[in-house]
Amino acid sequence: MTASEGAAEAKTAGAPILEIRGVGKRFDATQALADVSLTLQAGEIHALLGENGAGKSTLIKIVTGVHQPDRGQILLAGRPITIRSAAEAQRLGIAAIYQEPLLFPDLNVAENIFISHQDRGVVVDWRRMFQDAESILAELGVALDVRNPASGLTLAAQQTVEIAKAISMNVRVLIMDEPTASLSAHEAQELFKIVGDLKKQGVAILFVSHRMEEVFEIADRVTVFRDGQLISTRPRAEATPQRAIADMVGRAVDLTRARASVARDELLLSVDHLSRQGVFEDVSFQLHRGEVLGFAGLIGAGRTDVGLALFGIEPATSGSISLAGKPVSVRSPRDGMRLGIAYVSEDRRQLGLVLSMSIFANITLPALRRYLNRFGLIRTGMERQTAETFRKRLAIRTPSIELDVAKLSGGNQQKVMLSKWLNTNPSILILDEPTRGVDVGSKAEVHTIISELASEGIGVIVISSDLPEVLALSDRVLVMREGRQMAILDRADADQESVMTAAMGQRSHQPAQGLQ
Amino acid sequence: MNWLQRQIRPEQIRELSLLALIVVAVVFFGSMIDGYYSFRTFNRISSSVAIITVVAVGQTLVVLTRNIDLSVGSIVGFTAYFVGTLIAHHKGLNPFLAVAISIALGAALGVVNGLLVAWGRVPAVVVTLGTLAIYRGVLVDLSGAKTVTTDSLPQWLVNLPTLNVLPIGALDVRALFAAALVIVIIFQFGVTYLSFARRFYAIGSNPEAAQLIGLPMKGIILLAFVISGALAGLAGFMTLARYGNITVEAGRGLELNVVAAVVVGGVNVFGGSGRVTGAMLGAIMIGTLEQSLFRLGISEFWRDALLGLLILLAVASDSVILQRLRLLWARTELKFVQPVEAGAPRS
Repeated sequence: MTASEGAAEAKTAGAPILEIRGVGKRFDATQALADVSLTLQAGEIHALLGENGAGKSTLIKIVTGVHQPDRGQILLAGRPITIRSAAEAQRLGIAAIYQEPLLFPDLNVAENIFISHQDRGVVVDWRRMFQDAESILAELGVALDVRNPASGLTLAAQQTVEIAKAISMNVRVLIMDEPTASLSAHEAQELFKIVGDLKKQGVAILFVSHRMEEVFEIADRVTVFRDGQLISTRPRAEATPQRAIADMVGRAVDLTRARASVARDELLLSVDHLSRQGVFEDVSFQLHRGEVLGFAGLIGAGRTDVGLALFGIEPATSGSISLAGKPVSVRSPRDGMRLGIAYVSEDRRQLGLVLSMSIFANITLPALRRYLNRFGLIRTGMERQTAETFRKRLAIRTPSIELDVAKLSGGNQQKVMLSKWLNTNPSILILDEPTRGVDVGSKAEVHTIISELASEGIGVIVISSDLPEVLALSDRVLVMREGRQMAILDRADADQESVMTAAMGQRSHQPAQGLQ
Repeated sequence: MNWLQRQIRPEQIRELSLLALIVVAVVFFGSMIDGYYSFRTFNRISSSVAIITVVAVGQTLVVLTRNIDLSVGSIVGFTAYFVGTLIAHHKGLNPFLAVAISIALGAALGVVNGLLVAWGRVPAVVVTLGTLAIYRGVLVDLSGAKTVTTDSLPQWLVNLPTLNVLPIGALDVRALFAAALVIVIIFQFGVTYLSFARRFYAIGSNPEAAQLIGLPMKGIILLAFVISGALAGLAGFMTLARYGNITVEAGRGLELNVVAAVVVGGVNVFGGSGRVTGAMLGAIMIGTLEQSLFRLGISEFWRDALLGLLILLAVASDSVILQRLRLLWARTELKFVQPVEAGAPRS
């Protein structure tokens, strides 16, 4: 059966091509997806919106066979199916295109298009393969030398090859996960033309994007996810960017009471036109003693990269950093630590903690020099004393500080991380996603700790994708989008809408006027 | 330039420059060694090249999948010794059966490598370094360090290396070299035109993507090691025919020659690209250097050191020169044109 025939059949029956019924998925303690039901019609572009961690990626991975759902059913053209692997999804006509295409760099374009085909015979007929590849690309309206290896292709060309691959497999459901994230505006427009053609041919398209403008440009229906749940599905005529954003952030704001400000006038850190080539550019802000500065934006907006630059892990390439008015150069984490900057990584496992080492050894690791006796040996008694102090101060729940960090819960690991960096006596503390993967109780505790640190006079930068958290903690909020600083909002001006609006690059709605 | 770029690929430039280097080397040695341009020199080099080539073809397949087979030297020694012993005891053994036994024995040793790498998830360097020592150890133990001697072998085998299959004027193309050529041609066609063989390239080029589209990676890796073992087994038989006298030292250190041939021949050590013909050119380069430096009276250790230097140079030139060439060539721009109306729905 060809794609178009399948589409025609589905249209006449009025039944959706793909139906997801009550699908749920849990990873350890996190309910990534809860009871989600969604339909995809033939010839429809269905947009999926949601904050990071809302469950979009989990849904995509279930539909493409990477993950298996715990509950629920998936129906393809009315028949229940089980998708055990990505290869099986492809055989069923479900293809996915990711932000970073997965091509074989050494194989030529034509081969990449037909690599999954089992039906092209034992012997490769190169001439026919090149011709077939060329004709598929011609249908898409692109010209590419199909004899060239994929390694030389631009990202836009790679995505076109992925689409050609999907077409050659008679795709019925095409999932596009942020396909435009790294494309230029022109390339994105051309991609949409191709997507529009596929739609006409009856392909059902599930389109994930963080760019509001393009979602409302091409989508037929808009579905919003939040916290693993489907919040709303609306036809485009009824959906507006404002409504979608409200659905995306929708949590009751009063759950997170704003922290009392303890910011002083004393200037701690001043950053001017800081850039790292190709990653972020022109970031300028000031941080005062006792101030909490929130970094808001979507994943990939460059917030973490600014943090890494301030601490010296990935130094900035231009711009300046001054501490208490004096220009400094931060070229390595060693510089950062010497200048009293601490960076608590978002990735506890990879960058933050040595999981197989004890709690006390982890806490004293960055400041180990202080624990050496005159022969250069470690004074473990002193190490344990420090660890015990932090255990009480941050209420780390553990039977013993001798325990391996791996045995602790996420919230307690986070506290060990904090202890480790607080032990370096920083004057500036950068917290990257301090409460990710942490349960609600520990989250509140971490918030309390941040407030205490601020009142001790430490300047805190909180990078978080959890918007209510940023709003509750911050004296000011810096919003980034695609490596650029979009706004610095004072506490009075910062609310979910104004921050999300800036993070999405929607300038039409003026939050300042909205407040009056 | 554009026309030229369409006709010649960077990989071919690389092979052509290697060919040029071989010519330079031959001219250089010709000026250093009296009577270098003789059929004797050609025969000597060609039989050395033949053995390296056959093993290098198998190694190429393994390297394409982002692995390496260091045990080939031991497999060559193992099969040379045991098939030699077998023939010495059964003088009436059919020659073709003897070749088949050599290949099967090598393939069996390759299966062990492949299973450990693909299913045991042990890195190939570690696995084959282990089996390099184990196969050699088993050989020394089982043989009791005895030697296969030429007089114990039947006449057909002793005469095989000098068998002239294709006389071109006064130049002989002898059996061993002819066999190597046939294997190169078969495998070059195989990896170019067999769809399953293209998967060697695919899984070495991007293992993650190969996994995602459901290519049978373990099977492909196993197959690569089995072919490498089988060809090493064949090379073992060729070694037996060439030298007649086989000690437990046979084929020792051959892996250095073979890896050098493959790398110098332009097969990417990180997998995914390279050609069988390139590996053969590499083997010709290595064989020429080996034999000529021997004639110049350079010690074995300096010859090995030179091989090591060649490997490093080849890898370095790969990452610098070939990458640049590729960039120059493959800057494929995406052009948007008017879409062709899809007349009939695609099937």
